[in-house]
Amino acid sequence: MLQAIGLSKSYNGVRALDSLDLLIEPGQIFCLLGANGAGKTTTINLFLDFIEASEGHALVDGMNVADHSLETKRRLAYIPEQVMLYRNLSGLENVEYFTALAGQDTRSRDQLRKLLIESGLPQEAVDQRVSGYSKGMRQKVGIAIAVSKQARALLLDEPTSGLDPKASNEFSELLERLRGEGVAVLMATHDLFRAKETGTHIGIMKQGRLVECLAAEKIGHADLERVYLEHMRG
Amino acid sequence: MLLRIARKEFLEMVRDGRFRIAGGIVLALLLTSLGLGWQRYGEVTATHEAAVAQERELWESQGEKNPHSAAHYGVYAFKPTGRLAFFDPGTESYTGVTVWLESHRQNQFLYRPARDGNTLQRFGELTAAAVLQLLIPLLIILLAFSTFAGERESGTLRQVLSLGVNRRDLALGKALGVAGALGLLLVPATALGSAALASAQADAASGGLLRALAMASAYLIYLGSFVGVTLAVSARARSARFALITLLAFWVFVCLMAPRAATDLARRLHPTPSAQEFATALAEDKDVGIQGMDYDDYLERRRTELLAEYNAERIEDLPINYNGWRLQVSEEYGNQFFDRHYARLWDQFEAQDRLRQVAGSVAPLLAIRSLSMALAGTDFSHFRRFAEQAETYRRELVAFLNADLRDNAGPRGFGYTQTQAFWEQAPSFAYDAPGAGWALTGKSASLAVLLAWFLVATVWAWRGALRLEAI
Repeated sequence: MLQAIGLSKSYNGVRALDSLDLLIEPGQIFCLLGANGAGKTTTINLFLDFIEASEGHALVDGMNVADHSLETKRRLAYIPEQVMLYRNLSGLENVEYFTALAGQDTRSRDQLRKLLIESGLPQEAVDQRVSGYSKGMRQKVGIAIAVSKQARALLLDEPTSGLDPKASNEFSELLERLRGEGVAVLMATHDLFRAKETGTHIGIMKQGRLVECLAAEKIGHADLERVYLEHMRG
Repeated sequence: MLLRIARKEFLEMVRDGRFRIAGGIVLALLLTSLGLGWQRYGEVTATHEAAVAQERELWESQGEKNPHSAAHYGVYAFKPTGRLAFFDPGTESYTGVTVWLESHRQNQFLYRPARDGNTLQRFGELTAAAVLQLLIPLLIILLAFSTFAGERESGTLRQVLSLGVNRRDLALGKALGVAGALGLLLVPATALGSAALASAQADAASGGLLRALAMASAYLIYLGSFVGVTLAVSARARSARFALITLLAFWVFVCLMAPRAATDLARRLHPTPSAQEFATALAEDKDVGIQGMDYDDYLERRRTELLAEYNAERIEDLPINYNGWRLQVSEEYGNQFFDRHYARLWDQFEAQDRLRQVAGSVAPLLAIRSLSMALAGTDFSHFRRFAEQAETYRRELVAFLNADLRDNAGPRGFGYTQTQAFWEQAPSFAYDAPGAGWALTGKSASLAVLLAWFLVATVWAWRGALRLEAI
């Protein structure tokens, strides 16, 4: 579903991403671990065609994102570290707007309201303007947008950083459900624990290179931490 | 999709406190200026109607007197104010709308409100036209500077573009949203203005509806080009702050500096004399005469022709009143100088106007100002047309009076008098108001400049939106 072939990105001669090869099938959750600047966000931006690859290709559902910018995005949903919303609109109005822009205007207001509440947004907040929302609440609106889009692949850029453990846990449950529905997930994260818990595959990135690729079920928490720290030191 | 985006932009703006305050102020100014214009128009029209009726009556009932005395008694001619003048009084505050027509001289115009103006008016009169030309563009900038740059900065643009939204739809939707928010101000103001127009009495400037429509289109194109420029800058700017500063600098240049500079440049390249200099030059020229022929030489030549015509030896032998004839000769001698000097002066003013129109290519404000005044019937061309018609009428009237003196006074000379029946026969003045087509002749430069601005701004915004960077 998501595939990178020799994907590279250089900024002024510095390689932010170096020949990444990656294949994420439907129902897989690939967690990218790595320090800041390791190339995780660059990878996601390349899949979104927000930046142009210096070499290689990013494919979504077999289509090159550079050639099919709009079609590939329609198959994706993206949740950034900070979900940014229109502050003068209510949570529901935001979801309505983003959903309509995603081409799903068939959904009724009530359906979207239900979706927001299912995503964990307190009922009374649905019609309030988002300028008063906490980060967690905005994140839940972001999840509702992604779910309503019925995307076949999810791109997540540290979606749980700054969330309380309960919200974080709810998020993991949601991912598990989507995985069961055959969604492919690429998630950049700092959270080793969460990666081990929810991921089916774990990749470790360092200075633009994918230096390690592990199956989550075959490695324990302690081992994962050891492998990670070894890479960071070495 | 388009409407969805437009609706969201509109909703956001309307809910934004900044828009409410800025929009409220501009709407208040717009309505106030319309009110002031309406009041001014009402006063001028009422005065005008009363004066025209009274003036003719005064003329006809001036009693028994010599026709030449009547010529000195003179009449006033009033420039009728078109309905649209309440929206854009143009140059009328400076040129005046009334002229006193008498024998021997072509007078300057009277009733110039600018002469009695207070210090505040140096900043310009508060007219609805000025609000539309200066303040609405500023409001557009304040409304739309963050359209793209702000969304990019806050990160919402990333999310919107990650949905697979067409950049073309996004740009059009946003432009529509701005238009909708502006409509919230302009539609009620236009409705009010139209109602005022409709309730006004018979229009003095013909083609009123056509003029109003042309004016509305011109303003839409003008404001549209500001929307285009604002979106284009917002799409390219690295930050909302940078977009705002760039756009404000653009506004200051286009709306404040360039018009001032163009006016100064026009004055320097096509200088016009002061009223004093003009009068002195005219008087000197009259003394010197044309091609070495002064008044005495001119009179001598005309007298020889006259005597030859009547086959007479001496003036005393002529069957006409010589003084009546001589008055007309003196009039005709003087008219040559008025023609030359006024034509030169007015040509200079028109040259200045042309230069300002061309300068509109850097500042569209000049182009819309020129078109707006032309369509309101308050620009210099309309003034000149009225002044020339009034002058033609003055000559007709004076010639009519002199002819009576010449043909009927006989030996009684200045003791000869006429009565009301005769005054009633004297020609009366009727201004032939031009249509919309006439108003726009000579304004092709402004029209072209305005359209070019609109096209360039639209294409620029379009290209900016298509290349929109998410991060």
